[in-house]
Amino acid sequence: MLKMVVGIKWVPNTTSVNIDPKTGTLIREGIPSVVNPHDLEAVEMALRLKDEYGGKVTVITMSPPSAIAGLEHVLGMGADEAILVSDRAFAGADTLATSYVLAKVIERLDYDLIIFGQETIDSSTAHVGAQVASWLDLPYVYYVTHAELRDRKLVVRRSLENAHETYELELPALISVAMHTLHPRRVKVSNKLRVKLENPIKTWSNQVLGLDPECIGLRGSPTALSKIEMVPKVPRKNEVFRGDAREAAKWLLEKLMEEGLLKLG
Amino acid sequence: MKEVGYKFDVIVVGAGPAGSAAAYTLAKKGFKVLLVERGRVPGSKNVFGGRVYADPLRDVFDGFDEAPIHRWVTKERISLVNGEAMTSFEFHERKRTSFTTYLTELACWMARKVEEAGGTVLTEITVDELVVEDGKVTGIRVGDEKVSSDVVIDAEGINRLLLERAGLVPKLEVRYAGLGVKEVIKLSKKEIEDLFGLDEDEGLAWLMMGDVTGGLPGGAFLYTNRDSVSVGLVVMLGEAVKEVREHISRYVEALRLHPLLERYFRNGRIMEYSAHLVPEYTWPSLPHRLYADGLLVAGDAAGLLLNLGYNFRGVDYAAYSGYLAAKAVEKAHEMGGMTSENLSVYERMLEESFIMKQLRKFRNAPKMRENGRLYTTYPEVVNSVMDQLFHSPYEIPKVMEAFKRAKDGKIGWLDLVRDLLEVVRSV
Ligand SMILES: Cc1cc2nc3c(=O)[nH]c(=O)nc-3n(C[C@H](O)[C@H](O)[C@H](O)COP(=O)(O)OP(=O)(O)OC[C@H]3O[C@@H](n4cnc5c(N)ncnc54)[C@H](O)[C@@H]3O)c2cc1C
Ligand SMILES: Cc1cc2nc3c(=O)[nH]c(=O)nc-3n(C[C@H](O)[C@H](O)[C@H](O)COP(=O)(O)OP(=O)(O)OC[C@H]3O[C@@H](n4cnc5c(N)ncnc54)[C@H](O)[C@@H]3O)c2cc1C
Repeated sequence: MLKMVVGIKWVPNTTSVNIDPKTGTLIREGIPSVVNPHDLEAVEMALRLKDEYGGKVTVITMSPPSAIAGLEHVLGMGADEAILVSDRAFAGADTLATSYVLAKVIERLDYDLIIFGQETIDSSTAHVGAQVASWLDLPYVYYVTHAELRDRKLVVRRSLENAHETYELELPALISVAMHTLHPRRVKVSNKLRVKLENPIKTWSNQVLGLDPECIGLRGSPTALSKIEMVPKVPRKNEVFRGDAREAAKWLLEKLMEEGLLKLG
Repeated sequence: MKEVGYKFDVIVVGAGPAGSAAAYTLAKKGFKVLLVERGRVPGSKNVFGGRVYADPLRDVFDGFDEAPIHRWVTKERISLVNGEAMTSFEFHERKRTSFTTYLTELACWMARKVEEAGGTVLTEITVDELVVEDGKVTGIRVGDEKVSSDVVIDAEGINRLLLERAGLVPKLEVRYAGLGVKEVIKLSKKEIEDLFGLDEDEGLAWLMMGDVTGGLPGGAFLYTNRDSVSVGLVVMLGEAVKEVREHISRYVEALRLHPLLERYFRNGRIMEYSAHLVPEYTWPSLPHRLYADGLLVAGDAAGLLLNLGYNFRGVDYAAYSGYLAAKAVEKAHEMGGMTSENLSVYERMLEESFIMKQLRKFRNAPKMRENGRLYTTYPEVVNSVMDQLFHSPYEIPKVMEAFKRAKDGKIGWLDLVRDLLEVVRSV
């Protein structure tokens, strides 16, 4: 029996994200949001552990209410419960304030293991997991590719470029799943029906949590974002040379020199 | 296959106009209804040009006036295009009969009505199979799970894989299908009104015939939405397969870059590109039944669509057929069950409805549209006549003279008269 909590973030689908060329900020309006894809892998890992050892998976997200669609999706995959942590007071949070709220939510839950994604596709700081582990004073392993239970201890594998590390963790613990390691399962019709007919999603506002306004939202966020600079787009010329290889090589060489990209020494 | 713990009176497959209309009508009557859609949101997998006739939808949905309507089509334009010349007819009358919209918005609105009426709507669920037991459809299979119901209404659209898999219809032959491709181009509300001479909520439906389709039999269309235009073409697939030499998206691109059309899109931004099949030969010419034990078929899946070129009736026909399917389920329920015999009332209701009356009346229309001369010779002849009439300052020809000159070597009188008769007879 493993009681697990998984954190997911509801993010704008960056494949269709536009940046306002004048202000340099993300235009979120009208862009469909999705569950951060790497977080689906965290959910998948939790569900595999549940399949193997039994247990319960509770998914949490701090987000505006539109994230309910995302929670429905992961419940459809097989998570047992979901909590939407939502309040205007949480808005404008940096990673510190985000992790603080998440830690306070998790504190109220009965858990053995917390699983996060590696990072998000919209901010990709990879801070949140580490920070939640610090708030809760838990062992933390990042970049996990595999996890299994041995004698009530969690044995996790961490894959680096040239080595695999294996850690044995006392529970409770927090892990972040390395991206692109697990293929999230399809939603099941029975799970989706349960979502629609039994409504297993709870919403917790700050009325429930009662957190100090100084520690949450914009006020609880010491990070100051001073400026975003756009990397200018390099226009592509898209020239194609057809002909034999010798000619092509000569042509290419000339082009590169013309562009000042190559110089004869 | 595991049975899930919930059972329904009715399962509807596909949250397009047909499926939502059926589910809504039954949910409103207190049936326990499940509507299943594979797309992320209802309508996310649909493609369509952009004009819907309102009255049939008003008959089906309460509160239809709150539906997401972009513009009422008050301006109809039909153009014959040839090379860089275009002859157009235009009809402008401020009546509110049909409107433009995004099908996704409309489908979402319809699915919301289903939920409001007490139905259950599931998205992101692909039905893999109709479950058939002892010759009766008893539910649907999704992955390794089965959901049961007394009756299934199949509204899966033209690509009716479920019906094919269940052996209820033959594989769709390409010659029975058209291919629609389109782009949605973003412009401001004001730009649209200025460019097309429209008032605040007025819209334009523009049909083009001729070499704008790259010579393929079919037509090009342009519809004005609230702050975008949908532009694209529908070509007959049988021909397209034979003649298309390039990716079909190139044809839409060529349309957008056409010297006489490019001016409309110059300030626009392409928001979307999509392609989809359209039934060409509709139900009267296709031998299959729309009911079986525990099953009804509605909308495009049933081939209930009328395409006259100048009048494209898919969405309202689909919704209305879904509505009739729901009525048939109600009747069959009163008669004691979802047997094929009880459900056959559906076909009778369709027969008596405007849908079958019109489909029957225009059953020769698709054949007429196969006549290649409509897309090549006639636009050429008409534009050549216009060219002679307006661009010959020193030698204005008489109309008949211009016409003779234009047609000579292109078409004989006999073919001309025959085509004319055929057009008159079928439309
Ligand atoms: C100065 C500053 C101001 C900001 N202001 C805003 C703002 O006004 N509005 C805004 O939307 N963003 C704002 N952000 C971004 C915000 O900090 C991040 O969205 C958020 O803290 C999570 O960080 P991340 O996306 O990098 O997550 P990461 O640290 O990359 O995420 C790691 C993992 O943590 C979990 N996780 C992350 N976020 C959540 C969550 N919300 N709920 C549950 N689990 C989660 C997921 O499992 C995820 O895979 C601001 C950032 C900064 C630096
Ligand atoms: C290019 C083009 C232009 C058109 N222009 C017009 C027009 O201007 N006016 C007009 O009235 N009509 C137009 N139509 C036709 C119109 O779009 C269709 O007739 C109408 O959408 C049919 O509705 P339907 O509910 O039968 O099917 P669809 O709208 O196709 O809906 C079927 C639904 O079923 C879902 N589905 C399919 N299989 C499964 C499965 N196995 N499990 C779960 N869900 C499934 C699909 O995702 C889809 O949402 C056009 C069509 C095209 C292609």
